[in-house]
Amino acid sequence: MSILEIKDLHVKVKEEPEHPEILRGVNLTIKSGEIHALMGPNGNGKSTLAETIMGNPRYLVTQGDIVLDGQSILPLGVDERARAGLFLGMQYPAEISGVTNAEFIRAAINARRPEDDQVPIMQFLKDLDKTMAILKMPEDMADRYLNQGFSGGEKKRNEILQLMMVHPGLAMLDEIDSGLDIDALRIVAHGVNLMRGPEFSSLIITHYQRLLDYIVPDVVSVMKDGEIIETGGADLAKSLEKTGYEHLKVGDANA
Amino acid sequence: MPETLTLPNTPKIHLARYLAQGKDDTPCAPVEVTAPTAVTVAHPVKLTQNTVNGLDSWLLEAPQQVTTIDVPAGFQADTPIVLRGPATGGGVIQIHVGEDAHVVLQERWQADGDVLGVGVWLTADAGATVDWLTYDAFIAPVAVVQRTVDLGAGTTLNWTIAGFSHNSGASLATVNLNGLGAHATINVGVLASGRQHVGYVTAVTNQAQKTVGHINQHGVITDKAHLIFNGIGHIVKGARGSDAQQENRVLMLNQDARGDANPILLIDENDVTAGHAASVTRVDARQMYYLMSRGLQEALAKRLVIRGFLEAGLGEIADPELKQELFDTIDETLVNADA
Repeated sequence: MSILEIKDLHVKVKEEPEHPEILRGVNLTIKSGEIHALMGPNGNGKSTLAETIMGNPRYLVTQGDIVLDGQSILPLGVDERARAGLFLGMQYPAEISGVTNAEFIRAAINARRPEDDQVPIMQFLKDLDKTMAILKMPEDMADRYLNQGFSGGEKKRNEILQLMMVHPGLAMLDEIDSGLDIDALRIVAHGVNLMRGPEFSSLIITHYQRLLDYIVPDVVSVMKDGEIIETGGADLAKSLEKTGYEHLKVGDANA
Repeated sequence: MPETLTLPNTPKIHLARYLAQGKDDTPCAPVEVTAPTAVTVAHPVKLTQNTVNGLDSWLLEAPQQVTTIDVPAGFQADTPIVLRGPATGGGVIQIHVGEDAHVVLQERWQADGDVLGVGVWLTADAGATVDWLTYDAFIAPVAVVQRTVDLGAGTTLNWTIAGFSHNSGASLATVNLNGLGAHATINVGVLASGRQHVGYVTAVTNQAQKTVGHINQHGVITDKAHLIFNGIGHIVKGARGSDAQQENRVLMLNQDARGDANPILLIDENDVTAGHAASVTRVDARQMYYLMSRGLQEALAKRLVIRGFLEAGLGEIADPELKQELFDTIDETLVNADA
Protein backbone atom coordinates (compact mmCIF):
# COMPACT_ATOMS: atom_id res chain seq x y z
CA MET A 1 0.00 0.00 0.00
CA SER A 2 1.49 3.29 -1.03
CA ILE A 3 0.16 6.82 -0.89
CA LEU A 4 1.04 10.08 -2.62
CA GLU A 5 0.01 13.30 -0.92
CA ILE A 6 0.12 16.73 -2.51
CA LYS A 7 -0.03 19.31 0.26
CA ASP A 8 -0.81 22.99 -0.38
CA LEU A 9 1.39 22.92 -3.49
CA HIS A 10 2.39 26.26 -5.03
CA VAL A 11 4.45 26.22 -8.24
CA LYS A 12 6.07 28.73 -10.58
CA VAL A 13 8.04 28.43 -13.77
CA LYS A 14 11.66 28.63 -12.62
CA GLU A 15 12.73 31.01 -15.36
CA GLU A 16 9.76 33.34 -14.86
CA PRO A 17 9.83 34.13 -11.12
CA GLU A 18 8.06 37.44 -11.73
CA HIS A 19 5.03 35.69 -13.22
CA PRO A 20 2.18 34.55 -10.97
CA GLU A 21 2.03 31.01 -9.63
CA ILE A 22 0.60 28.34 -11.90
CA LEU A 23 -0.42 26.12 -9.01
CA ARG A 24 -1.93 28.01 -6.08
CA GLY A 25 -2.32 25.56 -3.25
CA VAL A 26 -3.18 22.15 -4.64
CA ASN A 27 -4.26 19.42 -2.24
CA LEU A 28 -4.66 15.89 -3.54
CA THR A 29 -4.20 12.37 -2.20
CA ILE A 30 -3.75 9.31 -4.39
CA LYS A 31 -3.81 5.91 -2.72
CA SER A 32 -2.57 2.76 -4.39
CA GLY A 33 -5.30 0.82 -6.11
CA GLU A 34 -6.96 4.10 -7.10
CA ILE A 35 -7.49 5.58 -10.53
CA HIS A 36 -7.74 9.31 -10.19
CA ALA A 37 -8.91 11.48 -13.08
CA LEU A 38 -7.89 15.14 -13.23
CA MET A 39 -10.08 17.21 -15.50
CA GLY A 40 -10.44 20.87 -16.29
CA PRO A 41 -10.04 23.42 -19.04
CA ASN A 42 -6.77 24.08 -20.87
CA GLY A 43 -4.03 26.14 -19.29
CA ASN A 44 -5.15 25.72 -15.69
CA GLY A 45 -2.21 23.78 -14.29
CA LYS A 46 -3.01 20.09 -14.84
CA SER A 47 0.17 19.32 -16.79
CA THR A 48 2.19 21.53 -14.45
CA LEU A 49 0.99 19.42 -11.54
CA ALA A 50 2.05 16.17 -13.22
CA GLU A 51 5.40 17.61 -14.36
CA THR A 52 6.10 18.99 -10.89
CA ILE A 53 5.34 15.66 -9.23
CA MET A 54 7.70 13.99 -11.71
CA GLY A 55 10.42 16.58 -11.00
CA ASN A 56 10.68 18.53 -14.24
CA PRO A 57 13.49 21.04 -13.54
CA ARG A 58 11.46 23.71 -15.38
CA TYR A 59 9.19 24.14 -12.36
CA LEU A 60 9.87 25.58 -8.94
CA VAL A 61 7.92 24.60 -5.83
CA THR A 62 7.48 27.81 -3.82
CA GLN A 63 5.32 26.39 -1.06
CA GLY A 64 3.88 23.08 0.13
CA ASP A 65 5.11 19.52 -0.27
CA ILE A 66 4.84 16.32 -2.28
CA VAL A 67 4.99 13.30 -0.01
CA LEU A 68 5.33 9.66 -1.07
CA ASP A 69 4.72 7.14 1.70
CA GLY A 70 5.50 9.69 4.37
CA GLN A 71 8.70 11.00 2.74
CA SER A 72 8.97 14.31 0.91
CA ILE A 73 10.18 13.70 -2.64
CA LEU A 74 11.03 17.36 -3.28
CA PRO A 75 14.75 16.82 -2.64
CA LEU A 76 14.83 13.95 -5.18
CA GLY A 77 15.88 14.36 -8.80
CA VAL A 78 13.66 13.19 -11.61
CA ASP A 79 15.49 9.86 -12.04
CA GLU A 80 15.30 9.13 -8.32
CA ARG A 81 11.57 9.82 -8.32
CA ALA A 82 11.18 7.43 -11.25
CA ARG A 83 13.06 4.74 -9.38
CA ALA A 84 10.84 5.43 -6.35
CA GLY A 85 7.90 4.31 -8.50
CA LEU A 86 6.64 7.39 -10.34
CA PHE A 87 5.96 7.45 -14.06
CA LEU A 88 4.75 10.21 -16.35
CA GLY A 89 3.28 9.40 -19.74
CA MET A 90 4.06 12.67 -21.47
CA GLN A 91 2.04 14.79 -23.80
CA TYR A 92 5.08 15.55 -25.95
CA PRO A 93 7.68 12.81 -25.51
CA ALA A 94 11.19 13.73 -26.70
CA GLU A 95 12.66 12.09 -29.80
CA ILE A 96 16.10 10.55 -29.45
CA SER A 97 17.90 9.02 -32.39
CA GLY A 98 20.68 6.48 -32.02
CA VAL A 99 18.85 4.76 -29.17
CA THR A 100 16.39 2.04 -30.07
CA ASN A 101 13.07 1.78 -28.33
CA ALA A 102 13.87 -1.72 -27.04
CA GLU A 103 17.28 -0.69 -25.75
CA PHE A 104 15.79 2.29 -23.92
CA ILE A 105 12.97 0.31 -22.31
CA ARG A 106 15.45 -2.31 -21.16
CA ALA A 107 17.65 0.41 -19.65
CA ALA A 108 14.59 1.84 -17.87
CA ILE A 109 13.72 -1.57 -16.39
CA ASN A 110 17.31 -2.23 -15.37
CA ALA A 111 17.61 1.20 -13.75
CA ARG A 112 15.07 -0.03 -11.18
CA ARG A 113 16.89 -3.27 -10.50
CA PRO A 114 20.14 -3.91 -8.64
CA GLU A 115 23.22 -4.23 -10.83
CA ASP A 116 23.63 -7.93 -10.09
CA ASP A 117 20.01 -8.65 -11.01
CA GLN A 118 19.48 -7.12 -14.44
CA VAL A 119 16.61 -8.39 -16.56
CA PRO A 120 17.67 -11.36 -18.72
CA ILE A 121 17.57 -10.39 -22.38
CA MET A 122 15.40 -13.30 -23.53
CA GLN A 123 12.81 -12.71 -20.85
CA PHE A 124 12.81 -9.02 -21.68
CA LEU A 125 12.26 -9.62 -25.40
CA LYS A 126 9.45 -12.07 -24.65
CA ASP A 127 7.69 -9.55 -22.41
CA LEU A 128 8.24 -6.80 -24.94
CA ASP A 129 6.75 -8.85 -27.79
CA LYS A 130 3.75 -9.79 -25.67
CA THR A 131 3.10 -6.22 -24.54
CA MET A 132 3.51 -4.79 -28.03
CA ALA A 133 0.98 -7.35 -29.26
CA ILE A 134 -1.53 -6.19 -26.63
CA LEU A 135 -1.06 -2.61 -27.83
CA LYS A 136 -1.21 -3.74 -31.47
CA MET A 137 2.16 -2.16 -32.21
CA PRO A 138 4.06 -3.42 -35.26
CA GLU A 139 7.17 -5.42 -34.35
CA ASP A 140 9.58 -3.03 -36.04
CA MET A 141 8.74 -0.32 -33.51
CA ALA A 142 11.02 -2.07 -31.02
CA ASP A 143 14.02 -1.47 -33.25
CA ARG A 144 13.17 2.04 -34.35
CA TYR A 145 14.86 4.94 -32.67
CA LEU A 146 13.08 6.28 -29.62
CA ASN A 147 10.03 8.23 -30.79
CA GLN A 148 11.95 9.27 -33.90
CA GLY A 149 9.51 9.80 -36.72
CA PHE A 150 6.67 8.26 -34.70
CA SER A 151 3.22 9.65 -35.46
CA GLY A 152 1.32 11.33 -32.64
CA GLY A 153 -0.66 8.16 -32.01
CA GLU A 154 2.44 5.96 -32.09
CA LYS A 155 4.11 8.16 -29.50
CA LYS A 156 1.12 7.81 -27.16
CA ARG A 157 1.07 4.06 -27.61
CA ASN A 158 4.79 3.98 -26.95
CA GLU A 159 4.29 5.80 -23.66
CA ILE A 160 1.79 3.13 -22.62
CA LEU A 161 4.21 0.42 -23.77
CA GLN A 162 6.85 1.87 -21.45
CA LEU A 163 4.31 2.08 -18.64
CA MET A 164 3.39 -1.58 -19.02
CA MET A 165 7.00 -2.71 -19.26
CA VAL A 166 8.31 -0.65 -16.36
CA HIS A 167 5.45 -1.39 -13.90
CA PRO A 168 5.54 1.82 -11.86
CA GLY A 169 3.58 2.21 -8.63
CA LEU A 170 1.99 5.49 -9.73
CA ALA A 171 1.46 6.41 -13.36
CA MET A 172 0.53 9.92 -14.37
CA LEU A 173 -0.86 10.05 -17.88
CA ASP A 174 -0.92 13.51 -19.40
CA GLU A 175 -3.56 13.73 -22.12
CA ILE A 176 -2.80 10.27 -23.31
CA ASP A 177 -6.03 10.42 -25.32
CA SER A 178 -5.21 13.50 -27.40
CA GLY A 179 -4.58 12.71 -31.03
CA LEU A 180 -5.88 9.15 -30.73
CA ASP A 181 -8.67 7.79 -32.91
CA ILE A 182 -11.37 5.74 -31.22
CA ASP A 183 -9.72 2.37 -31.95
CA ALA A 184 -6.36 3.51 -30.65
CA LEU A 185 -8.08 4.99 -27.60
CA ARG A 186 -9.67 1.62 -26.81
CA ILE A 187 -6.34 -0.16 -27.17
CA VAL A 188 -4.51 2.32 -24.95
CA ALA A 189 -7.29 2.20 -22.35
CA HIS A 190 -7.17 -1.60 -22.38
CA GLY A 191 -3.44 -1.41 -21.69
CA VAL A 192 -3.96 0.89 -18.73
CA ASN A 193 -6.79 -1.27 -17.38
CA LEU A 194 -4.47 -4.30 -17.42
CA MET A 195 -2.26 -2.40 -14.99
CA ARG A 196 -5.06 -1.93 -12.47
CA GLY A 197 -4.58 -3.68 -9.17
CA PRO A 198 -3.97 -3.04 -5.48
CA GLU A 199 -0.33 -2.06 -6.08
CA PHE A 200 -1.03 0.42 -8.88
CA SER A 201 -2.45 3.91 -8.90
CA SER A 202 -2.86 6.43 -11.65
CA LEU A 203 -3.48 10.11 -12.19
CA ILE A 204 -5.15 10.52 -15.55
CA ILE A 205 -5.24 14.00 -17.01
CA THR A 206 -7.85 14.57 -19.67
CA HIS A 207 -10.24 17.18 -21.05
CA TYR A 208 -12.76 14.68 -22.17
CA GLN A 209 -15.15 12.25 -20.59
CA ARG A 210 -14.60 9.88 -23.52
CA LEU A 211 -11.38 8.36 -22.14
CA LEU A 212 -13.11 7.80 -18.81
CA ASP A 213 -15.75 5.64 -20.51
CA TYR A 214 -12.95 3.15 -21.07
CA ILE A 215 -10.87 3.73 -17.95
CA VAL A 216 -13.48 4.19 -15.23
CA PRO A 217 -11.96 6.35 -12.48
CA ASP A 218 -12.45 5.92 -8.75
CA VAL A 219 -12.06 9.63 -8.09
CA VAL A 220 -12.54 12.65 -10.37
CA SER A 221 -11.07 16.06 -9.54
CA VAL A 222 -11.49 19.29 -11.47
CA MET A 223 -8.72 21.83 -11.62
CA LYS A 224 -9.20 25.49 -12.45
CA ASP A 225 -6.88 28.45 -12.01
CA GLY A 226 -4.28 26.31 -10.31
CA GLU A 227 -6.56 24.83 -7.69
CA ILE A 228 -8.69 21.72 -7.29
CA ILE A 229 -12.22 23.13 -7.25
CA GLU A 230 -14.31 20.01 -7.18
CA THR A 231 -13.89 16.34 -6.36
CA GLY A 232 -16.30 13.47 -6.81
CA GLY A 233 -16.82 10.00 -8.24
CA ALA A 234 -16.99 8.76 -11.83
CA ASP A 235 -20.40 10.42 -12.31
CA LEU A 236 -18.83 13.90 -11.83
CA ALA A 237 -17.03 13.43 -15.15
CA LYS A 238 -20.30 12.53 -16.81
CA SER A 239 -22.10 15.60 -15.50
CA LEU A 240 -19.21 17.84 -16.58
CA GLU A 241 -19.58 16.48 -20.09
CA LYS A 242 -23.07 18.04 -20.11
CA THR A 243 -22.43 21.25 -18.20
CA GLY A 244 -18.86 22.13 -19.19
CA TYR A 245 -16.43 23.84 -16.82
CA GLU A 246 -17.76 27.41 -17.12
CA HIS A 247 -20.10 27.33 -14.16
CA LEU A 248 -17.44 26.07 -11.77
CA LYS A 249 -15.75 28.78 -9.76
CA VAL A 250 -12.58 28.86 -7.75
CA GLY A 251 -13.34 28.60 -4.04
CA ASP A 252 -16.32 26.24 -4.51
CA ALA A 253 -14.38 23.11 -3.69
CA ASN A 254 -16.46 20.63 -1.76
CA ALA A 255 -13.46 19.05 -0.10
CA MET B 1 57.98 22.74 -57.99
CA PRO B 2 55.84 22.01 -54.92
CA GLU B 3 56.74 25.37 -53.34
CA THR B 4 54.71 27.27 -55.91
CA LEU B 5 51.46 25.46 -55.05
CA THR B 6 49.18 27.10 -52.50
CA LEU B 7 47.68 25.24 -49.59
CA PRO B 8 43.97 24.37 -49.65
CA ASN B 9 41.50 26.74 -47.99
CA THR B 10 41.21 25.70 -44.33
CA PRO B 11 39.72 28.58 -42.34
CA LYS B 12 40.77 28.69 -38.67
CA ILE B 13 43.01 25.65 -39.07
CA HIS B 14 46.74 26.32 -39.02
CA LEU B 15 47.62 23.85 -41.72
CA ALA B 16 51.00 25.41 -42.53
CA ARG B 17 52.06 25.06 -38.90
CA TYR B 18 51.28 21.33 -38.90
CA LEU B 19 53.07 20.81 -42.19
CA ALA B 20 56.15 22.68 -40.92
CA GLN B 21 56.58 20.00 -38.23
CA GLY B 22 57.72 17.60 -40.95
CA LYS B 23 56.07 14.30 -41.78
CA ASP B 24 57.03 10.82 -40.54
CA ASP B 25 59.02 9.21 -43.36
CA THR B 26 60.12 5.84 -41.99
CA PRO B 27 58.78 3.24 -44.43
CA CYS B 28 56.13 0.95 -42.95
CA ALA B 29 53.93 -1.96 -43.99
CA PRO B 30 51.45 -1.11 -46.75
CA VAL B 31 47.73 -0.77 -46.29
CA GLU B 32 46.19 -4.22 -45.92
CA VAL B 33 43.50 -4.66 -48.57
CA THR B 34 40.90 -7.43 -48.56
CA ALA B 35 39.15 -7.52 -51.91
CA PRO B 36 37.73 -9.92 -54.50
CA THR B 37 40.23 -11.14 -57.15
CA ALA B 38 38.70 -8.89 -59.83
CA VAL B 39 40.13 -5.91 -57.95
CA THR B 40 43.80 -5.15 -58.62
CA VAL B 41 45.85 -4.11 -55.60
CA ALA B 42 49.47 -3.00 -55.94
CA HIS B 43 52.14 -1.34 -53.86
CA PRO B 44 54.35 0.60 -56.29
CA VAL B 45 57.38 2.52 -55.06
CA LYS B 46 56.02 5.83 -56.23
CA LEU B 47 52.55 7.18 -56.92
CA THR B 48 51.78 9.05 -60.12
CA GLN B 49 49.26 11.61 -59.01
CA ASN B 50 48.43 15.15 -60.09
CA THR B 51 49.35 17.64 -57.44
CA VAL B 52 46.69 20.30 -57.19
CA ASN B 53 47.80 21.96 -53.99
CA GLY B 54 50.74 22.21 -51.63
CA LEU B 55 49.23 19.59 -49.32
CA ASP B 56 49.28 17.05 -52.18
CA SER B 57 52.99 17.69 -52.59
CA TRP B 58 53.64 17.35 -48.87
CA LEU B 59 51.77 14.03 -48.73
CA LEU B 60 53.36 12.61 -51.87
CA GLU B 61 56.91 13.36 -50.81
CA ALA B 62 58.55 10.24 -49.30
CA PRO B 63 55.29 8.53 -48.29
CA GLN B 64 55.62 5.78 -45.69
CA GLN B 65 53.86 3.37 -48.04
CA VAL B 66 52.04 3.44 -51.37
CA THR B 67 48.92 1.48 -52.29
CA THR B 68 46.88 1.47 -55.51
CA ILE B 69 43.50 -0.17 -55.94
CA ASP B 70 41.82 -0.61 -59.29
CA VAL B 71 38.18 -1.61 -59.43
CA PRO B 72 37.29 -2.71 -62.98
CA ALA B 73 34.38 -1.32 -64.98
CA GLY B 74 31.11 -3.08 -64.29
CA PHE B 75 32.32 -4.53 -60.97
CA GLN B 76 29.40 -5.34 -58.66
CA ALA B 77 29.70 -6.48 -55.05
CA ASP B 78 27.94 -5.78 -51.80
CA THR B 79 30.72 -7.24 -49.66
CA PRO B 80 33.06 -4.39 -48.88
CA ILE B 81 36.64 -3.93 -50.00
CA VAL B 82 38.37 -3.52 -46.65
CA LEU B 83 41.38 -1.24 -46.26
CA ARG B 84 43.29 -1.38 -43.00
CA GLY B 85 45.98 1.21 -42.48
CA PRO B 86 49.39 0.23 -41.06
CA ALA B 87 49.90 0.23 -37.29
CA THR B 88 52.73 2.73 -37.24
CA GLY B 89 52.47 5.03 -40.21
CA GLY B 90 50.53 6.92 -42.80
CA GLY B 91 50.99 6.85 -46.54
CA VAL B 92 49.18 7.36 -49.79
CA ILE B 93 46.41 5.43 -51.55
CA GLN B 94 45.08 5.81 -55.04
CA ILE B 95 41.74 4.23 -55.87
CA HIS B 96 40.23 4.00 -59.32
CA VAL B 97 36.62 2.89 -59.75
CA GLY B 98 35.74 1.96 -63.33
CA GLU B 99 32.59 2.81 -65.26
CA ASP B 100 29.29 1.56 -63.83
CA ALA B 101 31.07 -0.28 -61.04
CA HIS B 102 29.28 -0.57 -57.71
CA VAL B 103 31.70 -0.72 -54.85
CA VAL B 104 31.59 -0.66 -51.05
CA LEU B 105 34.74 0.59 -49.34
CA GLN B 106 35.63 0.30 -45.67
CA GLU B 107 38.73 2.18 -44.66
CA ARG B 108 40.20 2.10 -41.19
CA TRP B 109 43.17 3.82 -39.55
CA GLN B 110 44.51 3.35 -36.03
CA ALA B 111 48.14 4.29 -36.55
CA ASP B 112 50.61 5.57 -34.02
CA GLY B 113 53.56 7.82 -34.90
CA ASP B 114 54.60 11.47 -34.57
CA VAL B 115 53.28 13.48 -37.51
CA LEU B 116 51.34 11.25 -39.87
CA GLY B 117 50.48 12.15 -43.44
CA VAL B 118 47.64 10.28 -45.09
CA GLY B 119 46.58 11.00 -48.66
CA VAL B 120 43.78 9.21 -50.49
CA TRP B 121 42.78 10.01 -54.08
CA LEU B 122 39.70 8.34 -55.48
CA THR B 123 38.46 8.67 -59.04
CA ALA B 124 35.08 7.25 -60.06
CA ASP B 125 34.26 6.96 -63.74
CA ALA B 126 30.83 7.56 -65.27
CA GLY B 127 27.91 5.71 -63.76
CA ALA B 128 29.84 4.31 -60.80
CA THR B 129 28.41 4.07 -57.28
CA VAL B 130 30.71 4.27 -54.27
CA ASP B 131 29.60 3.56 -50.70
CA TRP B 132 32.51 4.53 -48.55
CA LEU B 133 32.99 4.29 -44.83
CA THR B 134 36.06 5.96 -43.37
CA TYR B 135 36.89 5.22 -39.75
CA ASP B 136 39.76 7.29 -38.39
CA ALA B 137 41.05 6.38 -34.93
CA PHE B 138 44.60 7.71 -35.12
CA ILE B 139 46.67 7.42 -31.96
CA ALA B 140 49.55 9.61 -33.22
CA PRO B 141 49.62 13.12 -31.69
CA VAL B 142 49.43 14.83 -35.08
CA ALA B 143 47.87 13.65 -38.34
CA VAL B 144 47.22 15.58 -41.52
CA VAL B 145 44.76 13.71 -43.70
CA GLN B 146 43.50 14.64 -47.11
CA ARG B 147 41.03 12.62 -49.15
CA THR B 148 40.21 13.87 -52.61
CA VAL B 149 37.43 12.46 -54.76
CA ASP B 150 36.78 13.13 -58.45
CA LEU B 151 33.38 12.01 -59.67
CA GLY B 152 32.39 11.48 -63.29
CA ALA B 153 28.99 11.82 -64.93
CA GLY B 154 26.07 10.07 -63.28
CA THR B 155 28.11 8.81 -60.35
CA THR B 156 26.88 8.49 -56.77
CA LEU B 157 29.03 8.78 -53.66
CA ASN B 158 27.68 7.96 -50.20
CA TRP B 159 30.46 8.65 -47.77
CA THR B 160 30.51 8.44 -43.98
CA ILE B 161 33.54 9.67 -42.10
CA ALA B 162 33.74 8.63 -38.44
CA GLY B 163 36.38 10.77 -36.77
CA PHE B 164 37.25 9.05 -33.50
CA SER B 165 40.95 9.89 -33.50
CA HIS B 166 43.09 11.21 -30.66
CA ASN B 167 45.29 13.34 -32.87
CA SER B 168 45.47 17.05 -33.43
CA GLY B 169 45.74 18.32 -36.98
CA ALA B 170 43.50 18.53 -39.99
CA SER B 171 41.25 16.20 -41.93
CA LEU B 172 40.19 17.32 -45.38
CA ALA B 173 37.54 15.68 -47.53
CA THR B 174 37.35 17.24 -50.96
CA VAL B 175 34.81 16.10 -53.54
CA ASN B 176 34.78 17.40 -57.09
CA LEU B 177 31.53 16.81 -58.97
CA ASN B 178 33.09 16.87 -62.43
CA GLY B 179 30.50 15.02 -64.51
CA LEU B 180 26.90 15.85 -65.35
CA GLY B 181 24.51 14.78 -62.60
CA ALA B 182 27.14 13.52 -60.17
CA HIS B 183 25.73 13.11 -56.69
CA ALA B 184 27.63 13.14 -53.37
CA THR B 185 26.47 12.87 -49.76
CA ILE B 186 29.14 13.22 -47.10
CA ASN B 187 28.24 12.51 -43.48
CA VAL B 188 30.83 13.30 -40.86
CA GLY B 189 30.59 12.32 -37.18
CA VAL B 190 33.41 13.41 -34.88
CA LEU B 191 34.15 12.82 -31.22
CA ALA B 192 36.86 15.15 -29.92
CA SER B 193 38.32 14.72 -26.43
CA GLY B 194 41.38 15.33 -24.28
CA ARG B 195 43.46 18.25 -25.52
CA GLN B 196 42.84 17.52 -29.17
CA HIS B 197 42.85 20.49 -31.51
CA VAL B 198 41.46 19.21 -34.74
CA GLY B 199 39.83 20.70 -37.81
CA TYR B 200 37.62 19.07 -40.42
CA VAL B 201 37.19 20.64 -43.82
CA THR B 202 34.56 19.03 -46.00
CA ALA B 203 34.42 20.69 -49.38
CA VAL B 204 32.24 19.89 -52.37
CA THR B 205 32.65 21.66 -55.69
CA ASN B 206 29.84 21.49 -58.23
CA GLN B 207 31.82 21.69 -61.46
CA ALA B 208 29.23 20.22 -63.80
CA GLN B 209 25.54 20.83 -64.40
CA LYS B 210 22.81 19.19 -62.31
CA THR B 211 25.25 18.00 -59.69
CA VAL B 212 24.21 17.55 -56.06
CA GLY B 213 26.47 17.90 -53.03
CA HIS B 214 25.24 17.42 -49.46
CA ILE B 215 27.51 17.87 -46.43
CA ASN B 216 26.36 16.89 -42.97
CA GLN B 217 28.85 17.26 -40.09
CA HIS B 218 28.06 16.48 -36.44
CA GLY B 219 30.67 16.75 -33.71
CA VAL B 220 30.77 16.21 -29.94
CA ILE B 221 33.49 17.92 -27.92
CA THR B 222 34.48 17.11 -24.37
CA ASP B 223 37.40 17.83 -21.98
CA LYS B 224 39.57 20.67 -23.31
CA ALA B 225 39.30 19.68 -26.94
CA HIS B 226 38.79 22.14 -29.76
CA LEU B 227 36.93 21.07 -32.89
CA ILE B 228 36.56 23.15 -36.03
CA PHE B 229 34.07 22.23 -38.73
CA ASN B 230 34.42 23.97 -42.06
CA GLY B 231 31.90 23.08 -44.71
CA ILE B 232 32.60 24.50 -48.13
CA GLY B 233 30.02 24.26 -50.89
CA HIS B 234 31.19 25.78 -54.14
CA ILE B 235 29.05 25.98 -57.28
CA VAL B 236 31.18 27.20 -60.19
CA LYS B 237 29.87 29.34 -63.05
CA GLY B 238 28.07 27.20 -65.59
CA ALA B 239 27.04 24.43 -63.17
CA ARG B 240 23.38 25.18 -63.76
CA GLY B 241 20.69 23.19 -61.97
CA SER B 242 23.08 22.19 -59.21
CA ASP B 243 22.40 21.89 -55.51
CA ALA B 244 24.77 22.52 -52.58
CA GLN B 245 23.49 21.90 -49.06
CA GLN B 246 25.28 21.66 -45.78
CA GLU B 247 24.72 21.27 -42.09
CA ASN B 248 27.40 21.71 -39.41
CA ARG B 249 26.47 20.99 -35.82
CA VAL B 250 28.62 20.90 -32.74
CA LEU B 251 27.66 19.75 -29.23
CA MET B 252 29.87 20.98 -26.38
CA LEU B 253 29.89 19.00 -23.15
CA ASN B 254 31.75 21.30 -20.81
CA GLN B 255 33.04 24.80 -20.27
CA ASP B 256 36.55 24.11 -21.51
CA ALA B 257 35.50 22.50 -24.76
CA ARG B 258 35.63 24.74 -27.80
CA GLY B 259 33.78 24.38 -31.05
CA ASP B 260 33.53 26.23 -34.35
CA ALA B 261 31.02 25.54 -37.08
CA ASN B 262 31.70 27.50 -40.25
CA PRO B 263 29.43 26.97 -43.22
CA ILE B 264 30.81 28.52 -46.38
CA LEU B 265 28.84 28.74 -49.60
CA LEU B 266 30.52 30.06 -52.73
CA ILE B 267 27.95 30.44 -55.48
CA ASP B 268 29.04 31.65 -58.93
CA GLU B 269 25.93 30.57 -60.84
CA ASN B 270 22.34 31.83 -60.63
CA ASP B 271 20.25 28.84 -61.59
CA VAL B 272 21.04 26.73 -58.52
CA THR B 273 19.79 25.84 -55.05
CA ALA B 274 21.94 26.08 -51.95
CA GLY B 275 21.49 26.18 -48.21
CA HIS B 276 23.23 25.79 -44.90
CA ALA B 277 22.56 25.33 -41.23
CA ALA B 278 24.99 25.56 -38.36
CA SER B 279 24.77 25.37 -34.59
CA VAL B 280 26.91 25.08 -31.50
CA THR B 281 24.84 23.72 -28.63
CA ARG B 282 24.84 22.00 -25.28
CA VAL B 283 23.10 18.75 -24.27
CA ASP B 284 19.35 18.94 -24.91
CA ALA B 285 17.60 19.39 -21.54
CA ARG B 286 14.28 18.04 -22.82
CA GLN B 287 15.87 14.79 -23.97
CA MET B 288 17.71 14.45 -20.66
CA TYR B 289 14.49 14.96 -18.71
CA TYR B 290 12.62 12.40 -20.77
CA LEU B 291 15.25 9.70 -20.35
CA MET B 292 15.73 10.40 -16.66
CA SER B 293 11.97 10.39 -16.06
CA ARG B 294 12.16 6.66 -16.81
CA GLY B 295 14.74 6.15 -14.08
CA LEU B 296 17.96 6.35 -16.09
CA GLN B 297 20.79 7.99 -14.16
CA GLU B 298 22.20 11.23 -15.46
CA ALA B 299 25.47 9.79 -16.78
CA LEU B 300 23.70 7.09 -18.80
CA ALA B 301 21.06 9.51 -20.08
CA LYS B 302 23.80 11.87 -21.22
CA ARG B 303 25.62 9.13 -23.09
CA LEU B 304 22.44 8.19 -24.92
CA VAL B 305 21.67 11.80 -25.87
CA ILE B 306 25.21 12.25 -27.20
CA ARG B 307 25.02 9.01 -29.12
CA GLY B 308 21.79 10.26 -30.66
CA PHE B 309 23.43 13.52 -31.67
CA LEU B 310 26.31 11.74 -33.40
CA GLU B 311 23.90 9.32 -35.01
CA ALA B 312 22.89 12.15 -37.31
CA GLY B 313 26.40 11.97 -38.77
CA LEU B 314 26.89 8.23 -38.50
CA GLY B 315 23.37 7.01 -39.31
CA GLU B 316 24.39 5.45 -42.62
CA ILE B 317 26.69 2.92 -40.97
CA ALA B 318 24.91 -0.40 -41.43
CA ASP B 319 27.59 -2.71 -39.98
CA PRO B 320 26.25 -3.49 -36.48
CA GLU B 321 29.65 -4.51 -35.09
CA LEU B 322 31.32 -1.32 -36.19
CA LYS B 323 28.43 0.71 -34.88
CA GLN B 324 28.68 -0.99 -31.49
CA GLU B 325 32.40 -0.27 -31.47
CA LEU B 326 31.73 3.41 -32.12
CA PHE B 327 29.07 3.52 -29.39
CA ASP B 328 31.46 1.79 -26.97
CA THR B 329 34.14 4.36 -27.81
CA ILE B 330 31.67 7.17 -27.14
CA ASP B 331 30.76 5.63 -23.76
CA GLU B 332 34.40 5.09 -22.81
CA THR B 333 35.44 8.61 -23.79
CA LEU B 334 32.60 10.13 -21.81
CA VAL B 335 33.23 8.00 -18.75
CA ASN B 336 36.87 9.12 -18.83
CA ALA B 337 35.84 12.73 -19.34
CA ASP B 338 33.48 12.53 -16.33
CA ALA B 339 36.14 11.01 -14.10
